[in-house]
Amino acid sequence: MALQSSILHLARKNLLQESCKQFLLQAHGLHKSTASGSLEIAAHSQADLKEENLVSPAVEGLKETTVKTLQEMPGPSTFSNLVEFFYRDGFSRIHEIQTEHSQKYGKIFKSRFGPQLVVSIADRDLVAHVLRSEGATPQRGNMESWKEYRDMRGRSTGLISAEGDEWLKMRSVLRQLIMRPKDVSAFSPDVNDVVVDLVKRVKTLRSQQDDGQTVLNINDLFFNYAMEGVATILYETRLGCLENEIPKMSQEYIAALHLMFSSFKTTMYAGAIPKWLRPMIPKPWEEFCSSWDGLFKFSQIHVDKKLSDIKKKMNKGEEVKGGLLTHMLVTREMNLEEIYANMTEMLLAGVDTTSFTLSWSTYLLARHPTIQQEIFEEVDRVLGGRAPTGEDVAYLPLIRGLVKETLRLFPVLPGNGRVTQDDLIVGGYFIPKGTQLALCHYSTSMDEENFLRPGEFRPDRWIRKDASDRVDNFGSIPFGYGIRSCIGRRIAELEMHLALTQLLQKFHIEVSSQTTDVHAKTHGLLCPGAPINLRFVDRK
Amino acid sequence: MSACILRVFLQRAAVMRKAAQQTFSQTRMFPQCVTEINTHSRGINTFTSSLRAEEKVAIHFLNRDGKRISVKASIGDSLLDVVVNHDLDIDGFGACEGTLACSTCHLIFEEAVYKKLGPVSDEEMDMLDLAYGLTDTSRLGCQVCLRKELDGMILRVPDVISDARVDSEKESSTAPPKV
Ligand code: HEM
Ligand code: FES
Repeated sequence: MALQSSILHLARKNLLQESCKQFLLQAHGLHKSTASGSLEIAAHSQADLKEENLVSPAVEGLKETTVKTLQEMPGPSTFSNLVEFFYRDGFSRIHEIQTEHSQKYGKIFKSRFGPQLVVSIADRDLVAHVLRSEGATPQRGNMESWKEYRDMRGRSTGLISAEGDEWLKMRSVLRQLIMRPKDVSAFSPDVNDVVVDLVKRVKTLRSQQDDGQTVLNINDLFFNYAMEGVATILYETRLGCLENEIPKMSQEYIAALHLMFSSFKTTMYAGAIPKWLRPMIPKPWEEFCSSWDGLFKFSQIHVDKKLSDIKKKMNKGEEVKGGLLTHMLVTREMNLEEIYANMTEMLLAGVDTTSFTLSWSTYLLARHPTIQQEIFEEVDRVLGGRAPTGEDVAYLPLIRGLVKETLRLFPVLPGNGRVTQDDLIVGGYFIPKGTQLALCHYSTSMDEENFLRPGEFRPDRWIRKDASDRVDNFGSIPFGYGIRSCIGRRIAELEMHLALTQLLQKFHIEVSSQTTDVHAKTHGLLCPGAPINLRFVDRK
Repeated sequence: MSACILRVFLQRAAVMRKAAQQTFSQTRMFPQCVTEINTHSRGINTFTSSLRAEEKVAIHFLNRDGKRISVKASIGDSLLDVVVNHDLDIDGFGACEGTLACSTCHLIFEEAVYKKLGPVSDEEMDMLDLAYGLTDTSRLGCQVCLRKELDGMILRVPDVISDARVDSEKESSTAPPKV
């Protein structure tokens, strides 16, 4: 206590209030971890770390130079990092390495990936601090290779690849259309139509297995559902991904998307390989371009088709009515190329993310029958057998909790990036403008300082007693926070809430005997490391 | 005949949109409270032109610097509309233009007023949890709409974090040489 108040005192005098506040917070954490007494080793090493931090400002705070430089920041050596990532395939364990490194080096540390210096931040309050200090046009990372492809083909950038004012202009248009929960909830009839097909598809698939109940590799199914769902909203059209025979055009798109995904590592190198080396190692760049070609082609076909429909209607003198795409094509707040690019990038961002989360959710439900029963009872109490609407979700707190808890345990983006737009002081370090930061969401959401017994699956930890009950925090922000956060968040939530609710209404979900423990692996996104096979048993 | 209808419709859409866009450039957002009328038209608010009532209420903001700003605002407007329309000088306020992605429109109310504000949606609560300096009577300004009963209310603009950004003044005294 005395220590705390002396720090507080210092903080007042000190210009660097924030870094001291940070020390205070850590001091607080220290109490917690010693009191809990669990995990002695971890607590011990953490305590060591904190003591160090606690002492330094007290000693140095009197001088006005408590800010440390990047050079002083701890972190793995360039060499060990190389071994870790290339030799031991660290790319698929990025989420675990985050945690290992933050335990070893502290909650802010630096690593080098070739020429690229990355400052990782694995502390909830420091993450909050960085995101709250964002300016008008935050930048996620280096998008040069994306831009290069677009320049080469005369394409526009979309929300993911655009920066600065160009990004802000498109974001301002799109957020007014697909970010307000109420606006998005109006799409629930369309999404429910897709859910009906999902349920049908479950029945078809399980009937093909010997036991008549198992659906193999559930993610394939959710992939098709997510694609169908997002296309319904974005393109106002059905793609037929949940039919027995998937139309050829959609198949081609899926192939392009798979190529993009499977060549993730190569495409990552595609950006990293210097241009002059390309003639010698052409494949990554070629695959990168050809998957983009496929993705752009698909959205262009759909956008053009809608445009010609609209024109036809106009010529016939009919009323032009429609959803998102129609609206964009009629109002032209963005030009046609910008519409192609954003449709392409949103579809890319909206499929795997949603499907992995649905796969994990159903897996977790299957592994925790008691929790599944509780959630089912809530759904049954509120809806009976009726299909949910967007508005009903407010009365299904456990369904919301289920999605939040799934994303806490398996954040699809285990880490996010920011390139600092100003000089910052974070955690007592001076971080110059233009530094690449990695925000370690996976670590913070598994940190016991942020979540009690973080390894446990407990959707009810998100339930509020009343409106003034605060349960959430920056420890788990799977969609990011602020003006550059996920623009598809409300769409994804709607798709997941409606699908999970109806699946629970219809089926008892069980783990198939062919599936044991499935662990996560990082492949750009955090995905199931093995196929998840589930049994869908009819509820009476 | 039918061609006529078409033209009328499109023109109307264009005009309406233009009106909306003007609102947009003026206010950086569509009036949040008015759009609710239209929520069932598949989520797109093409008809967001003003349906504002003439009636006004008085609101008093206590800004971060302790200064009091008093304005007369229209019933039906959200508090974000008020800040934007009156060009109130609150740094960083309303960054996501009322789309529930940021919590920079965080405001603190008196207890009695807070109770009159009406229910809070789950999405607002989730974003509120991420607001800096949260209190029991905090709300997001973009989600609070003005009603007659709120006339005369006083609300406080919470402090921002001591900004992580190094401003030039601090830089000279505290920043080490660049690395
Ligand atoms: C479970 C589902 C999803 C998760 C967990 C997720 C997560 C994220 C995260 C963490 C970001 C980065 C935010 C930041 O940098 O602060 C992001 C960005 C983005 N997401 Fe999602 N997302 C999901 C679904 C979707 C869907 C369905 C769409 C399409 C409608 C979508 C479109 C985008 C776009 C376009 C961006 C870039 C936004 C910008 O830079 O302005 N996402 N998402
Ligand atoms: S303005 Fe962003 S949440 Fe209110």
